[in-house]
Amino acid sequence: MSNNFYEFFCPVKIIAGQAALEHAPYELSIRGGSKALVITDSGIKAAGLLEHVLTVFEKSQVEIVTVYDQVPPDSCLSVIKEIAGIYRQRQCDSMIAIGGGSVIDTSKGVNILVSEGGDDLLAYAGHGHLKRPLKPLFVVPTTAGTGSEVTSIAVISDSEKGRKVAFGSHVLFPDVAILDPRMTQSLPPFITAMTAMDALTHACEAAIGLAKNPISDAYAHGAIKKISQNLMTVMDNPGDLDSRMELAEAATMAGIAFSNSLVGVVHSLGHSVGAVCHLPHGMCMSIFLPYALEYNLESCREEIAELLLPLAGAERFAQVPEQQRAETSIGAIREIRDQLYQHCQLPRTLKETGKVNKDQFESIARATLNDGSIIFNAKEVDFDDAMSLLEAAWD
Amino acid sequence: MIKIVARLQVIYVNFMIWLVGRLLEAASKVDKRIQEEIVALPTAFAFSMRVLPSGPEFTVQKQPDGTLYCKRKNDKIPAELTISFKHVKHAFLVLSFQESTARSFANDRMLLDGEIDLGMVVVRCLDRMESLVLPKFIAMRAVKRYPSISLSKKLTLAVKIYVQVLAGLFRRGHV
Repeated sequence: MSNNFYEFFCPVKIIAGQAALEHAPYELSIRGGSKALVITDSGIKAAGLLEHVLTVFEKSQVEIVTVYDQVPPDSCLSVIKEIAGIYRQRQCDSMIAIGGGSVIDTSKGVNILVSEGGDDLLAYAGHGHLKRPLKPLFVVPTTAGTGSEVTSIAVISDSEKGRKVAFGSHVLFPDVAILDPRMTQSLPPFITAMTAMDALTHACEAAIGLAKNPISDAYAHGAIKKISQNLMTVMDNPGDLDSRMELAEAATMAGIAFSNSLVGVVHSLGHSVGAVCHLPHGMCMSIFLPYALEYNLESCREEIAELLLPLAGAERFAQVPEQQRAETSIGAIREIRDQLYQHCQLPRTLKETGKVNKDQFESIARATLNDGSIIFNAKEVDFDDAMSLLEAAWD
Repeated sequence: MIKIVARLQVIYVNFMIWLVGRLLEAASKVDKRIQEEIVALPTAFAFSMRVLPSGPEFTVQKQPDGTLYCKRKNDKIPAELTISFKHVKHAFLVLSFQESTARSFANDRMLLDGEIDLGMVVVRCLDRMESLVLPKFIAMRAVKRYPSISLSKKLTLAVKIYVQVLAGLFRRGHV
């Protein structure tokens, strides 16, 4: 028998579908929450999404004590400290995060501080420093991409040192994720495209990495199928709530997959480019995904070939000879990127972003090697490899 | 028979944990690639590798001259980063070079407690050391990619590393 072994864990209750938000007060109350702090950003408030949540808590057994709506696009230590202060001052006992990856990760950071005590979040950086249960945290994603609503990881910017700091612990999982189609309905096309490519990358990397396992594969392949079948429908018809819901489910499924199988060099590069050049995470994922798959071809050709079925459907899968399926999978992802570029000018190369300078490649490559996800990439990546990948993704 | 095999595995893992710490110390004194990696570690940074729940462990600390020092019996060096095997059987797989460190992490057999970016530096030091001290056909199973290195250079470095380990035994005793 082989030495194969894996673990799979996702304790997050997922409440999904029509009027899912309306379940939130009851679910929070049975977890001991009665005074909740809402954490969100100004865009969510301006889009009117906050109102959906506040309305369902009116006349409920849970009081929304206050709303913090100034989370920046990149979650950072100082904001987390400020929100933790508000939580303590207003004697809250639970949190509701409404937003995308930054809001969710910020809320996880706040939860660490208010549950463990103190103001020094970095004291809990890394894996395994959190041992006891945290306060109830509900997440209402407003993008379909990050998957953070079902992961045990938070990535926070340390702006002083210009780096991203990862926090990992089994207690960092939110308690409940609420997927309600109303919350992603007004997402602009550019952000819809970026976040969907983020989810697609989570699923692809989970399905080909060293830590892949049969259960996470099922989630990853299911997520890829939903994204490939619904992304362009949503881009053409942003008000299509059913397709929006499919994308939201796909992002959560991809999140469950990569929370267990982890990710690889696309994320290592993306985290580093994000930190050095301040590009949005989803954009980085979209740029690097095909180049990283090509790089990994020799180590996991079979796994990349298997992506073709969920990416292109059974008919096309059957038409492509077995030995060409891996390259065709990568081609299918390039097609999606080209369509998104035509639709909303989502950059396909580093050059197209207009925000990356080749002089930054060395510092990006060095940061890439120290990113935790690199160890789970199927093929070894050294400094020269990282530089080659950056060159390949340039134009 | 099963108990005897399990007992032999424990003895082997105890010895290898003892040896790996000393090999890392020695390799840090002779190999430039490992020295370049250590530069990225904070001053006096210490890391441990141990076997849960109460198995053997080694602790290695960065020295002011940029080399590593493997903790001896009476030293008190708290580790800022710990790599833990969840069970002695998992440790045996890695330390008998049937499974790479990366594969062991991926298979959830190991835990990394501490800053992840520093953990990546430590893993690269371990991989490099294993590539130098093990025959190529064994090292290829222990690391994701065997480095491009000439046989003569590898042998020279390997001999220097083993001599350093032996010299260390005579200098300080074997604990």
